[in-house]
Amino acid sequence: MKRTFPLILVFVFGILGIIPFISPHPTIQGNDEFLRNNLLRIIAAFALVLGLGSLLKVHTDKIKRKMQNWQYSWVLIITFLVTSIIGLFGGIEGDGILPTRIGSFQFDIWTIYWHTEVPLGSTMFALLAFFMASAAYRAFRARSTEATLLLTAAFIVMLGVLPLGNSISPHLPSFAQWIMDVPNVAAQRGILIGVAFGMLATALKIILGIERNWLGGGGAE
Amino acid sequence: MKIVDSLSRIDRRIIYLMLAIVVIFPLIFRSPLSVRVMPPVEKLYYAIDEIPDDKALILNYEIDPQSQPELDPMGFAVIRHAFQRRIKVLIMCLYVQPLGLAQNALTQITNEFNSVAQTNADSIIYGRDYVYLGWVVSPLLVMLGMGESITNVYKVDYYGNKTDTLPLMAKIKNYNNVGLLVSISSGDPPKWWVEYAQNRFGLRVGAGVTAVSGAEFYPYLQTGQFSGLMVGMKGAAEYEEMVEEKLGIKIRRRASEALSSLTYAHLVLIAFIIIGNIGFFIKRRQK
Repeated sequence: MKRTFPLILVFVFGILGIIPFISPHPTIQGNDEFLRNNLLRIIAAFALVLGLGSLLKVHTDKIKRKMQNWQYSWVLIITFLVTSIIGLFGGIEGDGILPTRIGSFQFDIWTIYWHTEVPLGSTMFALLAFFMASAAYRAFRARSTEATLLLTAAFIVMLGVLPLGNSISPHLPSFAQWIMDVPNVAAQRGILIGVAFGMLATALKIILGIERNWLGGGGAE
Repeated sequence: MKIVDSLSRIDRRIIYLMLAIVVIFPLIFRSPLSVRVMPPVEKLYYAIDEIPDDKALILNYEIDPQSQPELDPMGFAVIRHAFQRRIKVLIMCLYVQPLGLAQNALTQITNEFNSVAQTNADSIIYGRDYVYLGWVVSPLLVMLGMGESITNVYKVDYYGNKTDTLPLMAKIKNYNNVGLLVSISSGDPPKWWVEYAQNRFGLRVGAGVTAVSGAEFYPYLQTGQFSGLMVGMKGAAEYEEMVEEKLGIKIRRRASEALSSLTYAHLVLIAFIIIGNIGFFIKRRQK
């Protein structure tokens, strides 16, 4: 029963999720609207709590077992708790019951967002440019005909998307655009179709109970 | 032999330093560059421009701090375009992170417009000209739910007002009253809008994406599922160019300013790749 019940639920709700995309019948559309606006939203809220609980559990375990880089888990737990308390009781702009200002020092959610999250997020992404430059220098070698073609296409696109490309030749931006519109689309479409078939097959396997890894491995039936 | 070796083994710190120099200096000594507007951006501009008076533009502002430098100029340019043309705008987010950036963009742009407005009709007024819907859980439910009733999904707006009390929301009920949705994002949301809102409700969709992810969105443009597409800093600069040229809005163009950095960074990258390949070919020949 422990395994059969979830399988029945997945089958029933999997089918109920597909039908509204095929049939415009008012009863089916009404049921779908109920499922989405009432049931799924409640489940999503519970999933959020479950996710946060799981995150805390993983990191407390990491600290207990002194696993690699366990010190960083303290950073996560402390910032998680501090921002949660400030967010829940201090309000977005310091308008809650918890004081979020000591003298001229403010620490409401809005201030934390602008002065911690935004700079940290921007810094992380900015570092990417340096790693990409270093990786491109090391990996981009014209070792074969295919690699040479890739390298040439990369140079054309890199120059074509810049104002400089237009100064070199007015045809360069158009050629770069053609590379993106034609060979790129052909390759992307092939990947997309392959991924779509893969997703369809996986979804069918889960709905029909052939794929059961999501049930987890522990416990007997 | 030593020189050949050093050509293909340049210390990564030298690469980092060179890149930092060419990125930082043009940002300090700003000089906006003009760009040639390419068809994907031009299409998006006209798709927004042609939204009828009785329909609204939904701007899915999915810009997080990580992609802010690249995508924020797109959001700013699209909002300025819509406000200048007096197109009604609904702004919403599918995730929490972009909420602050969207509010910042709205505050800044409404201030720009209202500081030069002479009359109430000229001004950009909340609830009449635009509504900031904010965020509700979860993306798929929002996309499908808004097709039936927007006020049912967003019962209150970002500021806590009941949406069904706002004058604009009395006219904009669901996707039937929406001329176009523009999703500006560093992830997959533009595709989701096509999969769920366009396939099921026929919503027209446009997109603004980062340069890194740009290649995977072109198939949607070719099929016409996207009404237009902005890719990366260059796409943002092209849209800024259109807004300045067609609407006469002369204001700081952040994406166009950043193009100098981008140009020099690309040239440095190309130079290093060429140097690496010269070393590689000499070594191969010697072997």
